[in-house]
Amino acid sequence: MNELAIKDLLYKLADDQLILGHRNSEWTGFGPILEEDIAFSSMAQDKIGHSLAFYTLLQELGEAEPDTVAFTRNANQFHNSQLIELPNGEYDFSLIRHFLYDNAEIIRFEMLSQSSYEPIAKVATKLKGEVKYHVLHANTWIKNLGSSTEEAILRLQTSLNEAIPYALGMFEPSKYEQELIEAGVYAGEEAVKAEWLKRIQAVIEKTDLKLPDLNTIEPKLGGRYGEHTEHLQPLLDEMAEVFKIDPTAEW
Amino acid sequence: MSLKSLDPRVTRLNLPEGETPAIEPKPELDQFETYEAFHQKKEGAAHTYVGPVHAPNEDVAFLFAKEQYSRRFACVGLWIARTEHIQVTPYVGDGENVYEMMRVVEEPTERSEEAEAYEIFHLKKRGKAHTHAGRVMATSYQEALQEARNQFGEKGPIVNVWVVKSKHVLQSAEEDKDMWTTIPEKKYREAIAYKVMDKITKYKEEHKTTAL
Repeated sequence: MNELAIKDLLYKLADDQLILGHRNSEWTGFGPILEEDIAFSSMAQDKIGHSLAFYTLLQELGEAEPDTVAFTRNANQFHNSQLIELPNGEYDFSLIRHFLYDNAEIIRFEMLSQSSYEPIAKVATKLKGEVKYHVLHANTWIKNLGSSTEEAILRLQTSLNEAIPYALGMFEPSKYEQELIEAGVYAGEEAVKAEWLKRIQAVIEKTDLKLPDLNTIEPKLGGRYGEHTEHLQPLLDEMAEVFKIDPTAEW
Repeated sequence: MSLKSLDPRVTRLNLPEGETPAIEPKPELDQFETYEAFHQKKEGAAHTYVGPVHAPNEDVAFLFAKEQYSRRFACVGLWIARTEHIQVTPYVGDGENVYEMMRVVEEPTERSEEAEAYEIFHLKKRGKAHTHAGRVMATSYQEALQEARNQFGEKGPIVNVWVVKSKHVLQSAEEDKDMWTTIPEKKYREAIAYKVMDKITKYKEEHKTTAL
């Protein structure tokens, strides 16, 4: 198996979880109700824990240690999709992003738990229950708020329309796509996207929200290849602020 | 006096200086209902009462309970019941058995045509938590209590009983077990798991300044 292909996949998974983990942690102390403050903080811990698991697999393949990889790269070295790095906005946007992202993430974890590449399969199997809960959390709120008051529906619909082009960018194929599929590592981005669409549609149908026509939407690509919005670098600076005061400190 | 926050998230909000505006009072009854949560600590163990949550409905109550009562501790399953769906017997003193004290059998206020399932929870001692004793079939809460007395009411002290219809209990699904079993031990989420005191003591030792 081509090691570069595996590394590319691991960076994509790890960076998505790290950056969204950080965004989720920005809700700590700011949640609309205490319970949601706790939920987003808790999911932040899970996601950052998942990124650590994937960075550790990368280290085993000869990459730098997880802290170095997480805290010392610049924006153009990150492989997360642009959806993940967008600012939290208000709760409606964070919720929609969480819904669109985690419904894709669980499919990746399900596929990877069956992967021919055993180290990924083990990690994905161990952690997928946590992602399953993240999906339950997102879907429960979308179903509840998406069919509640006029204001809630309007806010969620606006955020959905805004997030969708970025969400499609999550499925930007890697340059090793064919290789990964043939080697049985996972079924590839097209397959993830097709299943994702079914799952998000099933939830949206139970609400007053409408999924925009995806054929008319230009996906926001580039994230997987290091092209990012203006929002990623400030996030990285803030995330690494303490680390950079003394990179050799023992924690 | 104006305070500057060290939290960049607060600084970014550009909050106005000066007095904060008074908070508008909310309309009365702008409150969620309460639900009671029961957790299962390990496979095969009885579900035990763990605490209440405020929520707009059962599904959201489940989410809140999952966060609040299973975030840090081993847990393999969760039940949720709306507080008002739980019927409660009178309390008796520690060491007594509430079933034996109930001399008069109350007439059911409401009876279903066919027998349905009820869940029975026993409190063995004041200060402990209600624990699932079992399930009975009955046509009313009163009959369920009688059934519970016949089936498992004789052993030892029982200071209080909760009776709730099974259909009113939201139970976590068998296929969702992996939501809990992934990482049963969550110590890393507690401050105590971060052992920093040794480092702080060492730092103090090394940087000791002599008092004048």
